[in-house]
This record gives sequence, structure tokens and C-alpha cells, in this order.
Amino acid sequence: MTDLVTQDKWDKLAANFDVMAGNGAEKRWLPKKRELFSHMQGKVLFLALGTGLDIVAFPPGQDITAIDISPKMVEQAESRVAAYDGTIDARVMDVHELDFPDGHFDQVFTSCTFCSVPDPIAGLRSLQRVLKPGGELYMFEHTGSRVFPFNMMMKLMSQLTERVGPSMSRQTVANVHEAGYELLEVENLFLDVVKIIKARVPAHH
Amino acid sequence: MDNRLYFVLGDLFSIIVIGGFIGLLSVAIVGTDWNMWVAMIVMMVVGMALALPAAFLFGYWFGAMEIMVPAMQAGMWSGMVVGMWHPMSALSLSQGALLGAVVGLVVLNIIWALNVALRGTRHFAGGAL
Repeated sequence: MTDLVTQDKWDKLAANFDVMAGNGAEKRWLPKKRELFSHMQGKVLFLALGTGLDIVAFPPGQDITAIDISPKMVEQAESRVAAYDGTIDARVMDVHELDFPDGHFDQVFTSCTFCSVPDPIAGLRSLQRVLKPGGELYMFEHTGSRVFPFNMMMKLMSQLTERVGPSMSRQTVANVHEAGYELLEVENLFLDVVKIIKARVPAHH
Repeated sequence: MDNRLYFVLGDLFSIIVIGGFIGLLSVAIVGTDWNMWVAMIVMMVVGMALALPAAFLFGYWFGAMEIMVPAMQAGMWSGMVVGMWHPMSALSLSQGALLGAVVGLVVLNIIWALNVALRGTRHFAGGAL
């Protein structure tokens, strides 16, 4: 069953999400996101769609399935989905309960998603199920820091931010490893906080 | 550190303003008769707490974590330094703001230097952490 608490939290933010997110982070990381999303090929799953802010960084001509737990977010994304020069099949879905067959996708892309997934390891395992053996996981994420005093500060911040939105202290690289992926590459973009993670499902999975 | 001028100036502007504001506030809140250690701890907490909403404000134009992390450090250190300094040697509001801004600038430069050390790509052979 869909996590209604999380769904409600993001539904409430949907109408003002673009204002809250501002355009600073989008503008700052657009070149890096374009570079990351340029790897899209084959059957691609993107999460979480949100209001579709990342669509501008997608390469044209792709056939993408995009999911989000919040129906209101997907509703807000409609105009950006329609404007994309390719196909985006936008669906409301909880990452913990993906309604796709095993081994359905070649690639999964995430963008600032696993700071908000309530059970990140279960969510990553769920993605692994729908990826083909050898399928690739590409993540643009902000994570907790391992460096003092940032680690302490971000744990404190998380006490507040988790009530309204994302966590600031997730150890996403370790979570990817624990979920059973083969880590390929981690690129730190800002400190050890904003990063790109590349991993794949083991070929014998 | 982002080399694009818009973000370099945005980072500098945001953190100097936040540091200056917390410095000014420290002089306004802390009395010259306060114990300097108490003043330091109180303003450390206040500085960090107030820097968070300020970071959201500046983050609208300049980024998310890239503003939030230095802003909270600048707020914390500006509060500590000005909060401790004021009971030892009374500062005016403008002196507090100036000192707070300088502390913010120092903090930002340390974070930029740390960023140079931490950023980059790690490759994993065989998927091991």
C-alpha cells in the first residue's frame, strides 16, 4: 500500500514547490545534470518526477517512464511533460511498490530523490528488481557529509527538514552498496554532500 | 567551488550578509556583562538557527546545499566570535556587523578550500566501497 504519510507531505508542497526550490540550485547544477542524463538510452525509469524541474536537462527523443509518489506533483509537472521533445509516461507510484515487471528497465535515473524516500535501502532494492541484470543506476543526490563539522550540523538540520521534506544526512553511497549494487563511480560535486553516483545491478542478479 | 562569476559573487554576497547580520544581532542580544563563554554558546546556537532561514532566502537565487552549508557555518562562527568578543571589549552594532561579515568570509574561504580537496571522482573496482 502506498505510503500515505509521505504522499500527503509532498502533495502539500506541490503547489509551492517551484517557489520553494527556487531556481538557484537548478541553474547551478544544470550542466552536470545534462551531462548525467546524456547517458539515457533504452528503457529508462526516472524518479522522482516532482514538478518536472529536471525535464529541461533530459536529452531529446527519449522514451522515459517517470514516477512520483505525489499525484499533485505529477499534476504540476503536466506542462513540462507535454513540452518535452520525446515521450514521458508520468505515473503516480511509490518506489517501494513499483508496478513494473522484473527486469523491465535498462536504466534508472534519480535526482534528489533518496533524501526523501522513507526506507532508502528497500527503495533501492525495489529499483534493482525492475532493472535488468547489468542495468545501470545513475543518481544525482545530496547526502550527509562524513566530514566534521558538516556531518554534525547536517544531522541537526535533518531533525527539522525531515518534518517538512528531505533528510540532510542520508548515507546514500553506503545505501547503494548495501542494497546490492556494484558501485562504479562517485563524483563529489560540492564537498562530499552533492554527488553523482553510478552503479549497476550485478550481471548474475 | 563553482567558477561561474554569478555563483562566486552569489556565494560571497550571501555569506557576508548572513555573517554580518548574525554579528550585528550578537551585539544587540549579548550584554557587556555576560559571561563570555555563555555568550559564545548562546550565539553559536542562535547564529546557526537563524542562518537556516536566511540560507533558504539566498538559496532561491544561488543554490541549495551550496548556500545552506556555508551559511550555517558562517552563522555559527560569527555568533561565537562576536558573542564572545562583545563582553570582553564592547562593540558597536556596525563593528559587530563588520566582524561577523569578516568571519563569514573566512568561513566561506575555508569551505572553498575544503571543497577543492573533497570534490572529484572515485572509481570503484569490483563494486567494493
